[in-house]
Amino acid sequence: MGEHNGWLIWASYLVGLLLSVAPMPDFMELGRPLWLAMFITYWILSVPQRVSLTLTWLLGLAMDVLYGVLLGQHALTLTLIAFLMLTLQQRVRMFPLWQQSLVLLVVFGLAQLVQLWLNALAGNRPPTLVFLLPALVSALLWPWVFTALRSLRLRFNVN
Amino acid sequence: MRLLVLVVLAATLMVVDARFDTLKPVRSQLGLVLTPFYWLADLPVRIWDGVNQQFSSRSELLAENEKLKAEALLMQRRLQKLAALTEQNVRLRELLNSAALVDEKVLVGELIGVDPNPFTHRILIDKGERDGVFLGQPVLDARGLMGQVVEVMPYSARVLLLTDTTHSIPVQVNRNGLRAIAVGTGNPERLELRHVADTADVKEGDLLVSSGMGQRFPAGYPVAVVSEVIHDSGQPFAIVRAVPTAALNRTRYMLMVFSDPRSPEQRASEAAQAQEAHDRQLAEQAKKQDAKPSAEAAPAPAPAQPARPAPASAGGAR
Repeated sequence: MGEHNGWLIWASYLVGLLLSVAPMPDFMELGRPLWLAMFITYWILSVPQRVSLTLTWLLGLAMDVLYGVLLGQHALTLTLIAFLMLTLQQRVRMFPLWQQSLVLLVVFGLAQLVQLWLNALAGNRPPTLVFLLPALVSALLWPWVFTALRSLRLRFNVN
Repeated sequence: MRLLVLVVLAATLMVVDARFDTLKPVRSQLGLVLTPFYWLADLPVRIWDGVNQQFSSRSELLAENEKLKAEALLMQRRLQKLAALTEQNVRLRELLNSAALVDEKVLVGELIGVDPNPFTHRILIDKGERDGVFLGQPVLDARGLMGQVVEVMPYSARVLLLTDTTHSIPVQVNRNGLRAIAVGTGNPERLELRHVADTADVKEGDLLVSSGMGQRFPAGYPVAVVSEVIHDSGQPFAIVRAVPTAALNRTRYMLMVFSDPRSPEQRASEAAQAQEAHDRQLAEQAKKQDAKPSAEAAPAPAPAQPARPAPASAGGAR
């Protein structure tokens, strides 16, 4: 029973954190996908019992430190995403991939909106609507991320 | 239920972080993990650079070597001139009874990361509290001012660049001393001068240097070059745009400046004392030479030699 292969989940979180600070060309930086949120969403859809809100919150805190923003900002949005996906999980896991993408677009868009509000409160507001771009890019990338993570999960038998 | 607790916790954290200083030390300690993280994220770029260097052809290296040698030669020539000019400058300033323009101490830092948020212009450097970096410290590269330190962690620091929308710097037009405030626009290639009168004497191509008025940046470092001046009769002020001279998004190495904490008066008096000491020394040497001119006829140029570095060491003491 002790064999959950949970290390794969942890590794994916670490990779997600790394990818969210990896250097990218300027024009791509605007649409940097929400890697960590995507990975968390995948684990929620496949093995919901292995994802806890508290851990998500802590991961969000790590993001805040990496990004140098107010502590709690990403913690809040990631927790929101995790909560929404956990409540929708029963339905969403039955959807075909493109519908999952749509759900992701809405949920991540909401999270980005909250992020924008918090940024505005902290005093720096991006001038345009491009802050929604990451949600869109993440939704477009979702089928590939999903497939890749599923093959990994099946190979290492994570449950 | 858990959600509620976590959300409230996050909100509290944010408020505390925004309003009070209590979380600053926690943050700076958490920053310890940040350096290896950014290092890891940056690894592919580094490896690519390394491979590139390994396989760059010999002729390329030779050409680069030639170029660097030529550059070094040019620099040395300038340096020779500079020594004389510095000395002259110190004397003139003493005549004017003002503090000499001092050479500040600097520390070289390397870029380890760029802020992943595209709407802020901040970078991460590999020098931190342990190297003496402090909050508000000016940072520059070979061509001009880059920004200031806004967050200090044990082994790294965050630098806010001049072009961030929340940054402004007091500047002066180098040509005529006109003062203005240069504000970041969020565009890495543009600064804007605020509240410049329509009749003010600012032209395209003017060099803007830091004025030192804000007590934060040392005076006299190049900041930007005016790229366009727009006189719009519908606007209360002229629109002046400038391009930063520092390569804000290309530089990999940068200098952190330690300004002199002494007041201008102290500096002036110490400069005067050093100069007096130096003059006395010269006078003594001259006396000695007068006393026994025949005995030391052969090594006569030798005593003249130490006289040369003397002003330099006096300058170092200032």
